[in-house]
Amino acid sequence: MASQLKVDTITGVTTAGSVAVTGEGNSTTTNLQQGLAKAWFACDDMAILDSLNSAGLTDNGTGDLTLTVTNAMNNDDYSTGMGAGGSATSDGSMRLVEGADATTARTTSAIRLRQGYKATNLTMYDDSLCSIQFFGDLA
Amino acid sequence: MASQLKVDTITGVTTAGSVAVTGEGNSTTTNLQQGLCKHWNQFVQSNASVADSFNQSSATDEGTGDTSWDFTNAMGNDDYSSQTTCNSGSYHFASSYNDAQKTTAGDRCYSMTAGSSVTDASTVFVTTHGDLA
Repeated sequence: MASQLKVDTITGVTTAGSVAVTGEGNSTTTNLQQGLAKAWFACDDMAILDSLNSAGLTDNGTGDLTLTVTNAMNNDDYSTGMGAGGSATSDGSMRLVEGADATTARTTSAIRLRQGYKATNLTMYDDSLCSIQFFGDLA
Repeated sequence: MASQLKVDTITGVTTAGSVAVTGEGNSTTTNLQQGLCKHWNQFVQSNASVADSFNQSSATDEGTGDTSWDFTNAMGNDDYSSQTTCNSGSYHFASSYNDAQKTTAGDRCYSMTAGSSVTDASTVFVTTHGDLA
């Protein structure tokens, strides 16, 4: 008979922030906390459409934005996945890059991004559908 | 002694679709459902042949460098976060389409070369985070 656990909070016993989950191959385990995205953002035209753990978006100028999280990461060595979209015919090759110079270093609670289009010199552009995900250790 | 819980399904008590998980720092919590990837795939873009996927019912070749896919279980809204990347020998990169192509039932991407021409990348990888319906 299939079992069902009803619970509001999951916490490790040995280590509060570490719970093992048996993988799909039914042999090895993966880590529940490490596998969860700690933040994600769906943005369009410099506005957040939906998000997890978001403290907001700062519009620094055309194609220049900072995303801040509510619960900070434990260090700045987290992994970010990101992608920008538009229309292949009207917006060209949309791109999203983190930082651009020494003043844009990431912190445990924020990353600064540039979004734009074209292959060589990035033309800054606001109206991009951009998606960003944070993976790493919560503080 | 390490404890082991054997269970097939996890559901929130207060809200069925919301369970908190203590984070790595042992202090703050994150949300289990919100943190889980709701869809992923890997496909060959030239023919939309899917190598593997999760929560995907089909993929469609919409033309050169242009592929769409349908979710098995729909998203709760079209404001989900999708990451699209690819591999290629020709400096391709993959992008999501604009808002109009993003629905609760599926999503779409296109691939371009560095010179901004839409052509097929070799393999495309997509992950989707957001709210399930």
